[in-house]
Amino acid sequence: MSRVRILGIGSPAGDDQAGWLTVDALHAAGLEAVEIDKLDRPGASLIPLLAGVSRLILIDAMRGGGQAGDIRRFDQQDWPAYDQGLSSHGIGVLDALLLARELDALPPRIDLYGIEIGTACLSETATAPVRQAAGQLAGEIAASLALTLPSH
Amino acid sequence: MTEQKRSVAIHVPVLARVEGEGALDLRIDDGDITQLRLRIFEPPRYFEKFLEGRHYSDIPDFVARICGICPVAYQVTAAQALEKLYGVELSPWARAMRRVFYCGEWIQSHSLHIHLLAAPDFFGCNSAIELAKIAPQEVRRGLRIQALGNELMDLFGARSVHPVGVRIGGFHGAPAPARVQAIREQLAAALPEAEALVRWAAGIAVPQDDQAFTSVALRHPDEYAIEHGAIGASDGLLIDAEAFDAHFAEHHEAHSTALFSHYHGQPYLVGPLARLNLNHGSLPEKVQTLLAESGIALPSRNLFHSLVARAIEILLALHEALRLLDDYRVPASPWVPVTPRAGVAIGCTEAPRGLLWHRYEMDAEGRVLNARIVPPTSQNQARIEEDLRLSLRSFGLDQSDDALRLHCEQVIRNYDPCISCATHFLRMHVKRG
Repeated sequence: MSRVRILGIGSPAGDDQAGWLTVDALHAAGLEAVEIDKLDRPGASLIPLLAGVSRLILIDAMRGGGQAGDIRRFDQQDWPAYDQGLSSHGIGVLDALLLARELDALPPRIDLYGIEIGTACLSETATAPVRQAAGQLAGEIAASLALTLPSH
Repeated sequence: MTEQKRSVAIHVPVLARVEGEGALDLRIDDGDITQLRLRIFEPPRYFEKFLEGRHYSDIPDFVARICGICPVAYQVTAAQALEKLYGVELSPWARAMRRVFYCGEWIQSHSLHIHLLAAPDFFGCNSAIELAKIAPQEVRRGLRIQALGNELMDLFGARSVHPVGVRIGGFHGAPAPARVQAIREQLAAALPEAEALVRWAAGIAVPQDDQAFTSVALRHPDEYAIEHGAIGASDGLLIDAEAFDAHFAEHHEAHSTALFSHYHGQPYLVGPLARLNLNHGSLPEKVQTLLAESGIALPSRNLFHSLVARAIEILLALHEALRLLDDYRVPASPWVPVTPRAGVAIGCTEAPRGLLWHRYEMDAEGRVLNARIVPPTSQNQARIEEDLRLSLRSFGLDQSDDALRLHCEQVIRNYDPCISCATHFLRMHVKRG
């Protein structure tokens, strides 16, 4: 049976909420057949969450030089070759996914999304372009799930 | 003919695979070390200042934020200090569960350090990702053990990072027996995995090193000291936490935002190897048997044995958690009431990285007047510099720059330094005319 897991990565700080806002919108849409979680810097603890998952959808904030609110989807071939050492507080999402790949622990399908943000600052609310992008991405994800999930 | 001794300057701008931001400067002139500085430049975090004015009930959640890897150590040390000041006797249930909670942190932190931070060094790998290519089973096993440690922390803290379960007087809540039973089964299943981990760790070829140093750790007559005990040293010292300042002194060095610590004027070691050196006789029999099989003679004077010491402590923590969760029952109340009073509260426990000492001066309403926290990494900082000097000489100063750099990093990582925890800042008094 296909098992879908959606993980929003972020923090309560301003635009860094991008991943959380996306999964909040999906949660509000009532996607009952999928597991939805909000995570804050999971580090290597991300790997056990992948066990038994057939499709992983992961959304995080990113700063890639684009406009705030730009949405990017990363294929595995886009993951850069790993060339840095890990630190215990610096095991990022990509580090954890690369480690999972070496351990044959990656789900068969991974949709990795980044939402371009401005400055991550201590603010309760995200900026308008990021809020809008989170809503748009949630809509796209929901639409893609409707096609693949038997319950939709 | 006079041999020309070489002069080199090695600068490691950012130390990888350690917690926080630090760097190393090494200068060798005419074949001798003329400068060696472990520079900790992570900005100071002012936690002690932030604590001033806070109510005692806020302290456990507040100090948990000091470290994402060892929050339990900070919570339990603060709680122990305040419970002592307020004359609180924990229930036997809360006392036992504090130890189980702490075991979860040791399991999680040690497994993370062994597999993701330290072990790659000994296999010629730059990262855990490279290590996973040549030792996938071992890395998988390490991640499973780490996840189990996280689960134990989550059991009592509602989450494994910055948990919120501890309150002064006990815990906010008691886990349900069904969940405890499920975790007990996982703990039992993890025992053979941890035994295999100890054998694997003991089999890793490490550099031979022999250094004289003083080990400092908590000691307890009945058990391997984790969450309580008296402060002991390998020279025979045995004191209450209250007497810390009579024997240990912190001082500031310009090149570091972390304070340096000395014991009777000398560097000293805290952490897994110091604990094992002092307390190996208190390990459960099964763990002692495995330790004997490893062939490591204790007390060890080789800091590279820190990795196997962590593996031994993972096995110990699994045994302890299983023992203490046997026959688990939900108590009538997970906490006892507390009445604040004015005075000085001092607590001391064994964080995964070593001795952690807290001192709070409290007012009669239960608010913090001032706080002082001495974390393990700042205590080890002088020892790390001393170790580097000795270890580099024994390694050979004529080695290539890359080999020297790697050796230095390897030495530093033995201590699993948590630089974020250690940063303080010089107190400054401004006089204005």
